[in-house]
Amino acid sequence: AFGYLQGFIGGKTLTSEDLAPALASMQEHLLKKNVAKPVATHLVDSVEKSLVNTTTKSFESIQAAVNGATEQALKRILTPGVGLDLLREISRVNKEKRPYTISFIGVNGVGKSTNLSKVAFWLLQNKLRILVAACDTFRSGAVEQLRVHVKNLTKLSERSGGAVELFERGYGKDAAAIAKDAISYAAQNNFDVVLIDTAGRRHNDARLMSSLEKFAQLARPDKIFMVGEALVGTDSVAQARNFSDALGAGRKLDGFVISKVDTVGDMVGTLVSMVYSTGVPVVFVGVGQMYTDLRVLSVGWAVKMLMDK
Amino acid sequence: MVLSDLGKRLGAVMSDLGRSNVVDEQAFDALLKEVCSALLESDVNVKLVSNLRKSIKSKVNLKDLAAGVNRKRLIQKTIFDELVALVDAGVEPYRPKKGHPNVIMFVGLQGSGKTTSCTKLALHYQRKGFKSCLVCADTFRAGAFDQLKQNATKARIPYFGSYTETDPVRISREGVEKFKKEKFEVIIVDTSGRHRQEKELFAEMVQISEAVKPDQTIMVLDASIGQAAESQSKAFKESADFGSIIITKMDGHAKGGGAISAVAATNTPIAFIGTGEHMHDLETFAPQSFVSKLMGMGDMQGLFEH
Ligand SMILES: Nc1nc2c(ncn2[C@@H]2O[C@H](COP(=O)(O)OP(=O)(O)OP(=O)(O)O)[C@@H](O)[C@H]2O)c(=O)[nH]1
Ligand SMILES: Nc1nc2c(ncn2[C@@H]2O[C@H](COP(=O)(O)OP(=O)(O)OP(=O)(O)O)[C@@H](O)[C@H]2O)c(=O)[nH]1
Ligand SMILES: [Mg+2]
Ligand SMILES: [Mg+2]
Repeated sequence: AFGYLQGFIGGKTLTSEDLAPALASMQEHLLKKNVAKPVATHLVDSVEKSLVNTTTKSFESIQAAVNGATEQALKRILTPGVGLDLLREISRVNKEKRPYTISFIGVNGVGKSTNLSKVAFWLLQNKLRILVAACDTFRSGAVEQLRVHVKNLTKLSERSGGAVELFERGYGKDAAAIAKDAISYAAQNNFDVVLIDTAGRRHNDARLMSSLEKFAQLARPDKIFMVGEALVGTDSVAQARNFSDALGAGRKLDGFVISKVDTVGDMVGTLVSMVYSTGVPVVFVGVGQMYTDLRVLSVGWAVKMLMDK
Repeated sequence: MVLSDLGKRLGAVMSDLGRSNVVDEQAFDALLKEVCSALLESDVNVKLVSNLRKSIKSKVNLKDLAAGVNRKRLIQKTIFDELVALVDAGVEPYRPKKGHPNVIMFVGLQGSGKTTSCTKLALHYQRKGFKSCLVCADTFRAGAFDQLKQNATKARIPYFGSYTETDPVRISREGVEKFKKEKFEVIIVDTSGRHRQEKELFAEMVQISEAVKPDQTIMVLDASIGQAAESQSKAFKESADFGSIIITKMDGHAKGGGAISAVAATNTPIAFIGTGEHMHDLETFAPQSFVSKLMGMGDMQGLFEH
């Protein structure tokens, strides 16, 4: 346990020296939870600042004070500034007689296409008409992958209402152009939402990253979600920042989908790293490979996982 | 390139060491702290880093050093050796034998790069004169067979799979038997992504393994993996008993420390690294030169008696 045996020292005014051992053990704890090192360091520094010169409560150990302050900090970081009610936004935009568009971007293999399909499933349950745009024209099998999902989703939504179709132009073509065509097709054919899949790209590949800016300008999606996987370690910080910066002036990421949360147990630090380093909120978490394995983030749950010994 | 940031930092630590006049306990501690910090920032397992620190400290043991011992040299060599130990399992990865059906099965977490690496490896052996082929035993992921098929077609490698059969055990058995009859020498079996929390999928992996009896099972790990690497790779080791590791996406920005920690956790060598999305982007892995590069001391290796 976090030093609960160190005894109670209620009523003490805390100095940096008092706090150092408890902060060091908190830092190590956060690292073990897969919080990226620079983020863990900042977090612990901010906890130190908030505690120096304060007085511990009676019957409270220094470690308990550090734990409490860290928990508060984590909660603050993960709680989004403004809520996002996607369904309401979609309906507002549809009233303007145009389809609502969401695109998914991220590094290779994180779960863009799968989580796009999960979002499609959720929207279908809400009786919306969905067009899936296959704009990964690079990776082998990317188009066929979406075709299978659309086929499965069509079957699943037969009873619930809603409809889903695939828009594809094969391989090798320009993604931004296909996205634009898909959006006009959707407008002409009364689709409510266009979900745009994109190819995975390394965030240190300047050429592939710069094509994102063109994509954002041409396709002008209502929302751009970045998919990041819970498995990733320190790279989460650079991934989040580089994708956030790649969209061009005046365009920011609208949210993260953090996938594969089911694979990491309580090591959910990636959530903190990505949000802390960009201020972009988490809109969904992926918790498996099925269409129903999509959740909104429960901040309470995440903080509990992070604090658990 | 690979682990470059970590390399730069370690390189800087080493040259600082070269410049300073005295290496006392304090300087040594500061240096160790810097090394550990760099490793943690590269996702090396937290416990592993703390063990490494203790180990280096006790091996160098400045207090009891005889006069005349070159402290800098000793520290440098100890760090070098410990880092090599970290990426070197001390075992040679499997080498396929000519004129024999070598079955190689791929396993790993979702999206780690198995299917892509399968084709790369088949191509690698084909260029070395092995008659190579691919079997798609991923019946789960949407479009998995199309992906393998398109890759194999581009690389001109024969493949086997099915759009209708849903049992991966059956497909892999059929595919491997077929290719064995046709005297293929390297038969690579691609499987679905899975993770340790999925008990049934792990059982399925064991069944596939029993059906194809691989000469070698390879675990594929993404270079960007963080602290989950240890528990996941251990679980794969227990169930699939893989004999080597491929680390993919080393062309990315990630430093690969998590994937490297899997070596220590499972005592298994890294055989190859993936350095891009294209089919030729595969390199063989050599622990010593890897660490030399890492520490920015390519030409210093000869100074140590190895
Ligand atoms: N366990 C688990 N697996 C997931 C989750 N989301 C996606 N996956 C799996 O991760 C793998 C990769 O998913 P994709 O959707 O193809 O990833 P992608 O980002 O589109 O990949 P590229 O297009 O190749 O860059 C597949 O095997 C998915 O089933 C999740 O939340 N949990
Ligand atoms: N940059 C880069 N991308 C890679 C590398 N290896 C694989 N990829 C990409 O990573 C993504 C996932 O690769 P896959 O081969 O589909 O991964 P997988 O492990 O078969 O995925 P599942 O079958 O869904 O578990 C694809 O977009 C690949 O192009 C590599 O070495 N470098
Ligand atoms: Mg995809
Ligand atoms: Mg695959």
